[in-house]
Amino acid sequence: MGTLIVCPDLYIIGDKMFAEQFPIVFNALNVGFLQTIKLFFVTLLGALPLGLIISFGSMSKLTTLRSITKVFVWIIRGTPLMIQLLIIYYFPGLVLHNPIWGGGEGGRFGACAVAFIINYACYFSEIYRGGIQAIPQGQHEAGLVLGMTKSQIFFKVKLLQMIKKILPPISNEIITLVKDTSLARIIALQEIIWAGQAFLKGSQGISGAIWPLFFTAVYYLIASGLLTVLLGALEKKLNYFR
Amino acid sequence: MKKFISVLLVAAMCFSLTACGNKAAADSDSAAIKANGKLVVGITDFAPMDYKDDAGNWVGFDADMAAAFAKSLGVDVEFVEIDWDNKVLELDGKTIDCVWNGMTLTDEVKSAMECSNAYCNNAQVVIVNKAVADKYQTVDSLSELNFAVEAGSAGEAEVEALGLNFTPVKAQADALMEVAAGTSDAAVIDSLMAAAMVGEGTSYADLTYTVGLNSEEYGVGFRKGSDLAAMLNDFFKASANDGTMEACAEQYGVQAALIK
Repeated sequence: MGTLIVCPDLYIIGDKMFAEQFPIVFNALNVGFLQTIKLFFVTLLGALPLGLIISFGSMSKLTTLRSITKVFVWIIRGTPLMIQLLIIYYFPGLVLHNPIWGGGEGGRFGACAVAFIINYACYFSEIYRGGIQAIPQGQHEAGLVLGMTKSQIFFKVKLLQMIKKILPPISNEIITLVKDTSLARIIALQEIIWAGQAFLKGSQGISGAIWPLFFTAVYYLIASGLLTVLLGALEKKLNYFR
Repeated sequence: MKKFISVLLVAAMCFSLTACGNKAAADSDSAAIKANGKLVVGITDFAPMDYKDDAGNWVGFDADMAAAFAKSLGVDVEFVEIDWDNKVLELDGKTIDCVWNGMTLTDEVKSAMECSNAYCNNAQVVIVNKAVADKYQTVDSLSELNFAVEAGSAGEAEVEALGLNFTPVKAQADALMEVAAGTSDAAVIDSLMAAAMVGEGTSYADLTYTVGLNSEEYGVGFRKGSDLAAMLNDFFKASANDGTMEACAEQYGVQAALIK
């Protein structure tokens, strides 16, 4: 681990001293982190409901639909998200000769959002399936006896129990997602890691600065810390029934 | 069930139809760019060629020339920061129209892109710690060193050709960091970058550059088969003749390296 023993003056190298560098870097990292957070929320907003739809597909009585869903989930969970990002962004232009995303920042974000939503929806769908199937069949039968419709049974009886059961594994995925957003830099989405790395090579008059890249870890730590507290509180709130 | 399959088939057909439609339209690159109304230029943050000024606009020798070239075509210019490793993907995927970022014209680059004529000179230089610089002033003396070089760079090609020990890293700046941290003995980077980044008054005051391994040239890369490369050559010729290229180079301090 020789690389970690960096002499302290490496942190104040350059024509600009640390105190001078900090505001510039802080600003750039904030801009990058805004992209990270945007991608995070857009992914959750899309993947949480889409995952439910996929989980219904994988539990469908129709064999064909079930098989198609399972193969789809296998492909998405069985390949790296990094490859999926590259395929979704470059495939339309490379193979279909129709670069739907365009080269700008909006297009890159769009491609990232689609890749992340599909990827996370597949993981969520399996968690949902586990949660739904963990609810005793007797409750379903009791609902039917009481004359409830299937959708009534799902929304009024099963859903809240399912949410309580799946909260810990979903929390796990949510915290992983915060850090997975860094993969988006592969198609040049300028999230926080990209912003931190820019100062290594040289940007805004600061070059060869190593600390901004390491400093990005602080942002991730704060974000995942806040989420841990938030999701923990939510779990506690659902503790009123067992 | 039948309904589901038919929907799937219709979706697949739509996909393939749009694919065919666009293939036929994209016959000439310059026509496509004019229809699009803009030239999308793939760059990285690389002073003094492409970098952001205080107002956040892209400037630099390459950026200004690219803007002037776009103007001569009658289109807007759009700068997009790319991952340098993916430049060919970006071009072929049509997310950018050209790579204009102090790109060394290597055989790999020339075979993957339609390149313009060279417009700027550059060299690959060896970076070592100042304390030992005296020992490594010739190419022969380099064999005992462990090098760090940017993966896929011209520097990597040089050390590979010389049969030296090397570790590929992600970027030229990472290679410098390796030397500064002592994890590698030496690095090979662009002389333009070395002039800006190592030595007295820079980020790496303890480092210096010694041997130049080769001389090389910068060019602009377009999609394979693009007619824009020839148009840019004409543009370069015209702006060299009327002095605008020289004036632009002087503004960014690269006039000594300019190829006229």
